[in-house]
Amino acid sequence: MKELSLNILDITENSVKAGATLTEISIVESGDTLTLTIKDDGCGMSDEILSTVENPFYTTRTTRKVGLGIPLLKMAAEMTGGKVKIVSSTNEANHGTTVTAHFFKNHLDFTPLGDIKETIVTLIQGHPDTDFLFTHQTNSGEVKLDTRELRVALEGVPLDTYEVIVWIKEYLNEQYQLLDNR
Amino acid sequence: MTVYELSQNSQFNVLTMPEPERVINGAYVGDLLSWVMGKAQYDNIWITIMSNINVVAVASLSDVSCVLLAEDVTLDSEVLNTAKEKGINILSTPLAAYEAAITISGMI
Repeated sequence: MKELSLNILDITENSVKAGATLTEISIVESGDTLTLTIKDDGCGMSDEILSTVENPFYTTRTTRKVGLGIPLLKMAAEMTGGKVKIVSSTNEANHGTTVTAHFFKNHLDFTPLGDIKETIVTLIQGHPDTDFLFTHQTNSGEVKLDTRELRVALEGVPLDTYEVIVWIKEYLNEQYQLLDNR
Repeated sequence: MTVYELSQNSQFNVLTMPEPERVINGAYVGDLLSWVMGKAQYDNIWITIMSNINVVAVASLSDVSCVLLAEDVTLDSEVLNTAKEKGINILSTPLAAYEAAITISGMI
């Protein structure tokens, strides 16, 4: 992928497909490392399936036999000297999947993060009935968006309403401007 | 030109060739797999320096007739076995992508 944000979109779609009610997307930038974590409370994967997800010839798709979501993320991380770790549980009490990817930002082959704001907006617009908690921490501060909080404030107005989407875009823009100016 | 015919040229080495009769109608050069997936055309030979299992997946999805690893890039045997299983032809060459493309262009 040309941008990490496209990998994020891809992986998060898997979470939604797994029936997640809340997906937490966290980006932490510290020194020369970037850690991406996507944690969902979806149905989770059995150990057997978990052992095959890094192989592109395993996929949950029914339309074709190849899946590149995790393999491409793993490749992007490993190209910078980093790695990907996946933990999943199908237990009734704590089902869900957590994908953690570590990147070294100073490596020449580091893929830029790209338009993460657009990715977050696309996810909310495409899945207005599930919740997302997005946080992006850098050395200068944090950007945070929690659709659960939005939902309370909106009192039943759907998240994919045009005005709400425009507001989310502006909110993220402002948050990132504040971060950049610090 | 078929993949088999290309493999008869001494500059191109067969790593695996489960479908030698596939036709090469042109070439696509690229290393960013997601980009290649959207751009490489059916029956192209795809010239790349990437060397992992994802290459086989992208070749399978884009239905290229052959993968050509430039600059003597190699693949491990597990990846080659998967390619064979999935019917993906893989050749290698000491040439760089540019020279390989020119050479192939003169042959098709």
